[in-house]
Amino acid sequence: MGLRNRLIKWARIKSPWIIHFDCSSCNGCDIEIVAALTPRYDVERFGILLRGSPRHADILVVSGSVSHQVAPRLRRIYEQMPEPKFVMAVGACACGAGVFRDCYNVLEGVDKVIPVDVYVPGCPPKPEAIIQGVVELIEKLKAA
Amino acid sequence: MAGLVGSAYTVAVYGLALIVVVGILSLFFEWFDRKAFARLQNRYGPLHTGPSGLLQPLADFIKLLSKEDITPEAADKLLFALSPVVICTIPLLTLFFIPVFSKEAIVFFEGDLIFALFLATLLYLFVFIAAWSSTNPFSIVGGVRAALQLMSYEIPLALALIVPAMFAKSLSITTIAKWFETSFQPYALVPLALAFFIAVVCAQAELERVPFDIPEAESEIVAGWQTEFSGRKLALLRLASDIELVLMAALIATLFFGGAAGPWLPPFAWFLIKTTIVVFVFANIRALFARFRIDQLLRGAWGILLPLSMLNVFVAYVLMQMM
Ligand code: SF4
Repeated sequence: MGLRNRLIKWARIKSPWIIHFDCSSCNGCDIEIVAALTPRYDVERFGILLRGSPRHADILVVSGSVSHQVAPRLRRIYEQMPEPKFVMAVGACACGAGVFRDCYNVLEGVDKVIPVDVYVPGCPPKPEAIIQGVVELIEKLKAA
Repeated sequence: MAGLVGSAYTVAVYGLALIVVVGILSLFFEWFDRKAFARLQNRYGPLHTGPSGLLQPLADFIKLLSKEDITPEAADKLLFALSPVVICTIPLLTLFFIPVFSKEAIVFFEGDLIFALFLATLLYLFVFIAAWSSTNPFSIVGGVRAALQLMSYEIPLALALIVPAMFAKSLSITTIAKWFETSFQPYALVPLALAFFIAVVCAQAELERVPFDIPEAESEIVAGWQTEFSGRKLALLRLASDIELVLMAALIATLFFGGAAGPWLPPFAWFLIKTTIVVFVFANIRALFARFRIDQLLRGAWGILLPLSMLNVFVAYVLMQMM
């Protein structure tokens, strides 16, 4: 691997910017994601920043069950992100519809719409688990 | 021009050195700002990228450079590509008028303060063009807000920066910096302190930082006028805002504390110390306040800061006549 690629890989690992997309969560997962961004956990230590625009972000953090109505919008947000991009499904709903499984209006997880890199199970997952999810993603990046 | 340091060759060498130093300094100040901000919120801030997270801004920059660069279908392609470059270049150019390495700026002439302020105004025009060319509703709302805010705060800022110029009887940034060392009078302290306060508030607004981050209010309009920019263009825009931070800090440090002037230490060391202190003041303001509403912002500019700065200029004038 050339110096240039090593540098780019280092930069990517050190600066994962996230954007949070709430499909139709019960708000439990959202609050846990917000909790993970508070000073108590201080994810800025690892260079993680929350961005408002999908054009600025590297990691799409999706929470909540994907209903038929929100699915095209989720795909649109995903397509608006610049490459390389990654997706993290947070919560049982995002991983596979959770308690809403078999509902008439709900898809079985985010991965039915867009490719998912990391699944964080839990209903809702703890902030530690969400941070662990980002760590898993970074490990994946390192191995690549 | 009156103040070229020797031949064109030396200017070129100094200019290159300045560009490199400003590049490093802007990344350093971003780190310093983020770190101070984090410490004031009782957290650590960037920690694991290089020693104490010192390389965090560099990592962000390289990552953005290596990302995909999306140009929206509907955007005005030429302006969309050009505006980040211009927005990055203008503050860099303005820094040529500020003494950094020695007690004289690389380029200086009588009236360069006015020229620097003019360049700053030009910058906001390009911010608006950048927003307009991306043809995104969020960008345009952000651009309009940015134009509104920057124009309102331009005037009190100019009036505040005129005060040291009045005392030094010169419109050249270099001469004003020298005045602090040679013929500073204590009676100038009161108007200067007030002007410093006004300038810091206005600088915060010009830099679009909390509590004046209305043009990029992420909870309302995604990322404001920067919404559509990604990859290399976003990297340039972030660098530009860091360079603007250096510029504002340097301008305030030079016009109110003499910048590179000072005893014992070399001029560059004084420049670094003073600008770092100003950035620390900026970080404090960012941590202390929450975002204003638009009406509060405008009332603050036209109702409070503008009369205050006019009064200040008047007081300074009366003081000058009396002493
Ligand atoms: S996983 Fe549980 S907490 Fe999270 S959105 Fe679904 S139901 Fe709510």
